[in-house]
Amino acid sequence: MDKFDVIVVGGGHAGAEAAHAVFRSGLKCALVTFEREKIGQMSCNPAIGGLGKSHIVREIDAMGGIMPIATDMSGIQYRTLNTRKGDAVQALRVQCDRNLYKKAIQKIISKTNIQIFEEEVEDLLIQKNSVKGVITKNKTILGSKTILTTGTFLNGKMYKGDEITEGGRIGDSSSKPLSKKLYSLRLPMGRLKTGTPARIKLSSLDLSVMEEQPGESPTPFMSLTQEVKKHQKQLSCYITRTNPKTHKIISKNTHLSAMYSGNISGIGPRYCPSIEDKVYKFKSKESHQIFIEPEGINKDLVYPNGISTSLPKKIQEEFIYSIKGLENSKIEEYGYAVEYDFVDPRSIKKTLETKFLSDFYLAGQINGTTGYEEAAAQGLMAGINASNKIQKRKEFILERSESYIGVMIYDLTNHGITEPYRMFTSRAEHRLLLSQNNAEQRLLTKAYKQNIVCESRLNNFLKKEDDYKRFFTNQLEKVKIKNFKNKKNNTIELNEKRSISSILARPDVDETKIFKTNKDTIEFFKRASTEIKYKGYIEKQLREINKNKKQNRKKIPENIDYKNISGLSNEVVEKLLKSKPDTIGSASLIEGVTPAAINLILVNIKKTELEKINA
Amino acid sequence: MSVVFALATPAAQSAICVFRVSGKGCLDAVEKIFNKPVQKHKTFCIRKLFHQGRVVDEVGVITFSGPNSYTGEDAFEVYGHGGLGVMSLIVEAFKGVGFEEAAPGEFTKRAFLNDKLSLNEAESVADIIESNNAEDVFLSSQSLAGDFTKKVIDFSKEIDFFRVRVEGEIDFSDEGEDFLDSMLVEDLGLLISNFELFVGACMNKKELSVKKKVLFIGPVNSGKSSVFNRLLGFERALVSSVPGTTRDLIESEVFYNNMSFSVSDSAGVRETEDLIEAKGIDLGISEVSKADVVVGIFDSSDEGVINKFREISAERVFLAVYNKLDLSKADKKLFDCCVSAKTGEGFDHFKKVLGGAFINKDIRDYDYLVRERHIDLFNKTISSLKSAEKRLLDNDAMELAAEDLRISRAYIGDVVGVKTSDSLLGDIFSSFCIGK
Repeated sequence: MDKFDVIVVGGGHAGAEAAHAVFRSGLKCALVTFEREKIGQMSCNPAIGGLGKSHIVREIDAMGGIMPIATDMSGIQYRTLNTRKGDAVQALRVQCDRNLYKKAIQKIISKTNIQIFEEEVEDLLIQKNSVKGVITKNKTILGSKTILTTGTFLNGKMYKGDEITEGGRIGDSSSKPLSKKLYSLRLPMGRLKTGTPARIKLSSLDLSVMEEQPGESPTPFMSLTQEVKKHQKQLSCYITRTNPKTHKIISKNTHLSAMYSGNISGIGPRYCPSIEDKVYKFKSKESHQIFIEPEGINKDLVYPNGISTSLPKKIQEEFIYSIKGLENSKIEEYGYAVEYDFVDPRSIKKTLETKFLSDFYLAGQINGTTGYEEAAAQGLMAGINASNKIQKRKEFILERSESYIGVMIYDLTNHGITEPYRMFTSRAEHRLLLSQNNAEQRLLTKAYKQNIVCESRLNNFLKKEDDYKRFFTNQLEKVKIKNFKNKKNNTIELNEKRSISSILARPDVDETKIFKTNKDTIEFFKRASTEIKYKGYIEKQLREINKNKKQNRKKIPENIDYKNISGLSNEVVEKLLKSKPDTIGSASLIEGVTPAAINLILVNIKKTELEKINA
Repeated sequence: MSVVFALATPAAQSAICVFRVSGKGCLDAVEKIFNKPVQKHKTFCIRKLFHQGRVVDEVGVITFSGPNSYTGEDAFEVYGHGGLGVMSLIVEAFKGVGFEEAAPGEFTKRAFLNDKLSLNEAESVADIIESNNAEDVFLSSQSLAGDFTKKVIDFSKEIDFFRVRVEGEIDFSDEGEDFLDSMLVEDLGLLISNFELFVGACMNKKELSVKKKVLFIGPVNSGKSSVFNRLLGFERALVSSVPGTTRDLIESEVFYNNMSFSVSDSAGVRETEDLIEAKGIDLGISEVSKADVVVGIFDSSDEGVINKFREISAERVFLAVYNKLDLSKADKKLFDCCVSAKTGEGFDHFKKVLGGAFINKDIRDYDYLVRERHIDLFNKTISSLKSAEKRLLDNDAMELAAEDLRISRAYIGDVVGVKTSDSLLGDIFSSFCIGK
């Protein structure tokens, strides 16, 4: 019988990242998936990154993960968003060649000792409330830890109008016995849905009537490891729009959409609505943007991002033909909505191990998230924590103030979800601390201590930090000048000579003129001017973080009786009962909970503790 | 835990005042406020206390190293001179080094959490927090309390409105939506001025108790000083039966129901002769314009005399008090209350009437009476909003404008609770069409 340290079920973004993390920890991993060929498949739009998401990918990068490297191996268009805003909210988005991305992941996996099983897991091997392995049609695989990353496959169903097919992705089947198994364990589970648009042949489009959106130049890299030296051939995206005619066709047929006919019970994401949703909910908007994203370098196919739908095929054709540039579209694949099982993430710990079964971890969409990046990050964290438990290391939990990954896991495990959870920068109250460009500074040393980043990477990083410090001191702090140009291009004379670093703190300074950068110093200078600009705010945030650190870590006992704490309003009690916060810090993040309420809870916890001692 | 401080003695003129300070790191901060290092654990020493480079007062300081202190944390106490000016400067000095004013029940709470109080002693802790929570918005009537909270909630919603736009512009800038319309900055300016008006209508509860003045006047020998002394509970004014004994204005403090009145006893006014006779009398009348409540003390039910004093005090709240209840009964219709300074009869009622009089006076000028802590938070809210306004106006670093708005909302959250990012995102999704 096969025996492994960790079994990862599922070969998507969470599964691949989890398996690779286990490999980096020096442990033996089994990856059980339907088809070897589909490992690392992008099921939705072929892009990685964007606001909040590139932040996560860079964090994965700082911890030695594989998503950022695969992105650079397959990236065909790079754009930095929010270039006119500050560093903390800039984000890189990369269009990938769908096929190359998958191949990249498979290539990376193939260089490891991860053993791949092309099997469907149908049952779990449970002994004394602990998962000891998985059972497939053909065999039993034993593992000290099991990580489940089922994505949209757990009892997945696809909808096009009234046409319903079983499966987690077009052309693939779904995982039903495992869903049944989890339901039989009486877990808190529910259904979520997401959708995709039709895929159209590139050669059938009239790109000349659309707005071209080229990538940026010079082309940046997603990964800071510099493992990928050369980019793929770069392509453009195109933008077209829906029009009143499109909207008329859609509103006339809304009732035929699977979403509106009542077939789908799952909750869809509000930030990723189907085109029928957009037309229905925002009647005053006469037009919606559509991004025409290339599927690959030599691929005659595009992904029209912005018109995901579950309307019947005929209606899909009709409304697509009404759009400028898409009049002669050849549709290769029709849009569909997919509905799948998820487990209420409040039933998992911050290590992603479940509270109901030990040695059993959940990562990715099964926890109610959406997005490749969110899934990969959870896979990474589950992989690290499963390995840590085997190697008897401490739990690896990231704080909200040090990473977006921490924000996500906190949110999921504390508040649960009301719709598929996606990262946005506005979810992070410490956003200014969490730039996509400082992920290494935040996480690399930590990751090294977790045994998942190699020593040479650490040394490179430490050397770069030294270089930066030297740059700052020698070229900004020690260099003093008497005047500078402000943003209106006027020269400002100073009373006495002052250092460049102190002048950079002034809001009126024109940063581009105060220091001449070259290719060696440009990144350092950007970093320095951001750090100087943010300094006051960041000090304030750090004070905020430290102020209640001890109090925030205080655990709230599971059996706390909020109803009996006098002084708490009914509304607050209800909210507390619903989200069951595990710590004071989590409780204070619940809407409507005041500092006075937190004080009452603290006092109550202490009182109960004392009563126990005295009893 | 942050460092908190509180005045341990009443906020009133007295011989000395005592401040307590507690929290990790508070002993490191002492060197920033005193002229030289303080003595180690539990040793009293005299130091000069500084604020902005100037000596505020020569004070006594005693430090306690945690866990051997009342709260179980590092702590110290400051004994200063009891002038109101000194007290407010000490407060400023503390705030200047980052100490925060303690929330209601804060010291007791900390002591309790650090195992310094027994369960029995601690029973009251929750009550303190709870009762003060209810009292946080301290108002003369319940209906206003509801109105106050509603107003703050409305302001918090307005801040959320701006956050929705700015956060939307940051997270969804490529969605083709116009988050920031041209009126946004102007609207934010409007919100700021409305909020400033609102804060202006909030009366600081502490201010109320130190600033309000009660003046005693009345005919010669009607017993003003006796009533004054009885009210204070000790012999403060020189009392004599010879008319015109009280020559100078004597001031003291009275506490009642959490309120402190500054009470002044003036020389008597001879109603039969020329009104202005002695210096003390002159002082008494000129003081009327500075007083908030004027108490006329009378020894007879002579309506003409009472009205004369009422006229002098026409601009003020006037209370007519009959004093010599021990000698003869009074015509109750003429008086707001009747007492006897000699026996003490009627003083409970008198205090109540006095307390009521000066609350009514305040309500005319202010809509809300709130804690100083809240005024502080509101002012911080305003300054963060202004910073956001400036950044939006200059089109400079939108993420910092967003941070200013987040912080301003967090300050108000002390009254109305936090706004979660999830619910903010919900607002964005319902106001704008997001999503590809």
